Amino acid sequence: MAATTPPKVIFEHEGVFIHSNTEELEDQDSLISGYLRIVDKDGETVVEYKPLEDTVDPSNMLCACKDSSSVVEWTQRPHRTVDQQLSYETEWDMVNAVSFKRKAHTNGEGGSNHLNERNKGAFSFNVADLRSVTVKCEGWSYLIFCLKDDTTLPAIHFHQGGSQAFLDGLRKSVQLTESPDDENILLVGAYSKAFSQSFENLLDDTNYGLVQKFKKDPYTTTLGGFSKVTNYFFDAFRPSESECQQRPVEEMADILGELIPGLEINQQEEPGFEVITRVDLGTRPEVQRREPVMMEDWAKHQDSEGRVSNVPHLKHLIFKGGLCHAVRKDAWKFLLDYYPWDSTHEERKNLQKRKTDEYFRMKLQWKSVSEEQEKRNSRLRDYKSLIEKDVNRTDRTNKFYEGLDNPGLILLHDILMTYCMYDFDLGYVQGMSDLLSPILYVMENEVDAFWCFVSFMDQMHENFEEQMQGMKTQLIQLSTLLRLLDLAFWNYLEAQDSGYLYFCFRWLLIRFKRELHFQDVLRLWEVMWTGLPCHNFHLLVCCAILDSEKQKIMDRHYGFNEILKHINELSMKLDIEEILIKSEAIYMQIKNCKDLPNSVSDILGLNAVTNDSTLETSEYGVLESPQSSPRPAHRQDQAYSNGHGLLQEASHNRCKVAFIS
Amino acid sequence: MSSKSSLLKVILLGDGGVGKSSLMNRYVTNKFDSHLFHTIGVEFLNKDLEVDGRTVTLQIWDTAGQERFRSLRTPFYRGSDCCLLTFSVDDGQSFRNLANWKKEFVYYADVKDPDTFPFVVLGNKVDVSERQVSREEALQWCRDNGDYAYYETSAKDATNVSAAFEEAVRRVLATEDRAEHLIPTDTVNLHRKPRTGAPCC
Repeated sequence: MAATTPPKVIFEHEGVFIHSNTEELEDQDSLISGYLRIVDKDGETVVEYKPLEDTVDPSNMLCACKDSSSVVEWTQRPHRTVDQQLSYETEWDMVNAVSFKRKAHTNGEGGSNHLNERNKGAFSFNVADLRSVTVKCEGWSYLIFCLKDDTTLPAIHFHQGGSQAFLDGLRKSVQLTESPDDENILLVGAYSKAFSQSFENLLDDTNYGLVQKFKKDPYTTTLGGFSKVTNYFFDAFRPSESECQQRPVEEMADILGELIPGLEINQQEEPGFEVITRVDLGTRPEVQRREPVMMEDWAKHQDSEGRVSNVPHLKHLIFKGGLCHAVRKDAWKFLLDYYPWDSTHEERKNLQKRKTDEYFRMKLQWKSVSEEQEKRNSRLRDYKSLIEKDVNRTDRTNKFYEGLDNPGLILLHDILMTYCMYDFDLGYVQGMSDLLSPILYVMENEVDAFWCFVSFMDQMHENFEEQMQGMKTQLIQLSTLLRLLDLAFWNYLEAQDSGYLYFCFRWLLIRFKRELHFQDVLRLWEVMWTGLPCHNFHLLVCCAILDSEKQKIMDRHYGFNEILKHINELSMKLDIEEILIKSEAIYMQIKNCKDLPNSVSDILGLNAVTNDSTLETSEYGVLESPQSSPRPAHRQDQAYSNGHGLLQEASHNRCKVAFIS
Repeated sequence: MSSKSSLLKVILLGDGGVGKSSLMNRYVTNKFDSHLFHTIGVEFLNKDLEVDGRTVTLQIWDTAGQERFRSLRTPFYRGSDCCLLTFSVDDGQSFRNLANWKKEFVYYADVKDPDTFPFVVLGNKVDVSERQVSREEALQWCRDNGDYAYYETSAKDATNVSAAFEEAVRRVLATEDRAEHLIPTDTVNLHRKPRTGAPCC
């Protein structure tokens, strides 16, 4: 186990500025553009500002020390010293040779000491040393940090937005309360972390940082630790004041909850907004697609009795190229788990017979409801009425469903009605006709289409349930992925009130059915149904599409409405092969990343030991992974291997929330 | 943003299949497609028009009508200047549901004074011969609920569609004119979170 955990960037915003002419440097009349970050290092929360040009050279950085009595300067040193353990390394882009040298600091010259002129104003401080934040606005917002030793740091100007998000990030570590004397000043209160944490974290052995510190410097660490414990109890037993203080961690959840009523985010775990380490994803690899699987290829994968052999290899081929249309009718039944891959012709014939009986038994149920009965069954009546309306409004330009008395329409109607009998609690929800239509088109058979649809609905069920939890979960997961892939774009969306990605709703609810041409929907769905190369591949498809649109969205300064309109209008303009190439490339890029946040590995199922290797090994016909689908429900604090010798710590994120800091 | 802006937001609400999208498309593009997809999620279209010498941009929001989609539909109600309550004259249930739609809108749009908020009621599909809702019934409902304007429309043959949207604009402008005499419209409501377009970053 590593002695210390790597620093985690809680918040990062590129494009903040220091106005050098408003400070002492009046000879320069320029804006210094830089990053503002909130970094969690061994439980210490540090705010850092770094000029853009300076990101690779930390040697000039100044840090205010924890006790505010001194300033620590970064210098290159060959070995680590005890000294450095008292400070907070911000080494997201550095090697270990960096260390600290103490330097005397007097309050009188505080301001300029924190602003290193030679280095155009890089500074950093521990939030524990922060006294107040002054929030001002002159067309844009700017923040002025005042430390407890009366040091005032240069104003940070948010010319490109993001000040609110920064303050929200800060609230995860400290309480900010409006000063009674000046509404522009936010006073920093006691640590709020303790509140959101349970007692078990006190004893959680994820506090390796503390243990390590204790070894190096028992005296300071103990006192520091005790003072935090005091804070903890002080906070915990202070009655109402803390409750009326500003919401820290819950802020984002509240905003989301407000926009999507009924949305409940587990605020303890912050699924969508947990810390994502700023990760260097590396370059996106080149990806080649293949030709669709032809009839011969498909036939070759069946033995004389009809069992499909070498399934992983076959799935891999389908993932890489899809199916030619003639194969679909057969192959989709396997991909959708209607037919077991290892079943024989004979077994499938029996299965089909059973399933046919079962289907018609359910069909008879709604068929035999009399008009009188229907009058007393409002739910059935409502389902029926909406199905009738929607069947008339589903893919009507497709040959299979066009015209007035097309049998395709009747089948669509009957299957949806029968599905209501199959799952009366869910019944019919708009969007389901979109999911059924391509399946029926491919199957050209009522019973087969029904059961394949049932399988597809099993995957999509949560999206359609009363609370639409599936949709909410997916939007949050997508947001997590987007933030990993392009934080700047995500920040932009958030600044436009679009951070909850509502504009992706239709994409997710009906899996791009309305976005792509009918034939392309077939291709995308069969690729998705292989379950390759990871869980939730469709979320990477979202990322791929957004990746192609983000520049346009940001360059044209689209706001909330324009973003929604722009995304809606992408419908039927998307190129499926291009999207699949990009989605797979993004997957490879993420997979190759060494410091993947657990939230991301969880979403894509990259922590499961065997899962990830399926794609590679399938080339050689190794048996399919036995645990290909479900994500681990509750993960232990133990290391997982993703099959490439890359160890990932399950407790990674927990470290950040450990209350002793 | 001040409500004096020339951008007016109207929202079409009503049961699934009453013709909300068709009304919007008829009005904005003057086209009708009986096989148009049912709406998933939320869409909107803009249209510039002149009403009584004033030029406004009408932003028409169209939503998915099924009950299930409420939580993803209601966030878009805020900031609406007018609500078009829509039913289909050949569907009695859609008419009976108007009250629910009104209630949902008032609640989620955060309407301060529901009694003066401009609602317009549209009875669509008058081209269909089998009516389940009579004109009198509909008018009665409008009277009982606060003298709402009522239009019998057909997106299919364009009957009354422009008239209905123009009436919506007139009602909004009239409400604003009235409000101007009472309170300045630029008052900032301190209890509400800053909305998009606020000058601060």
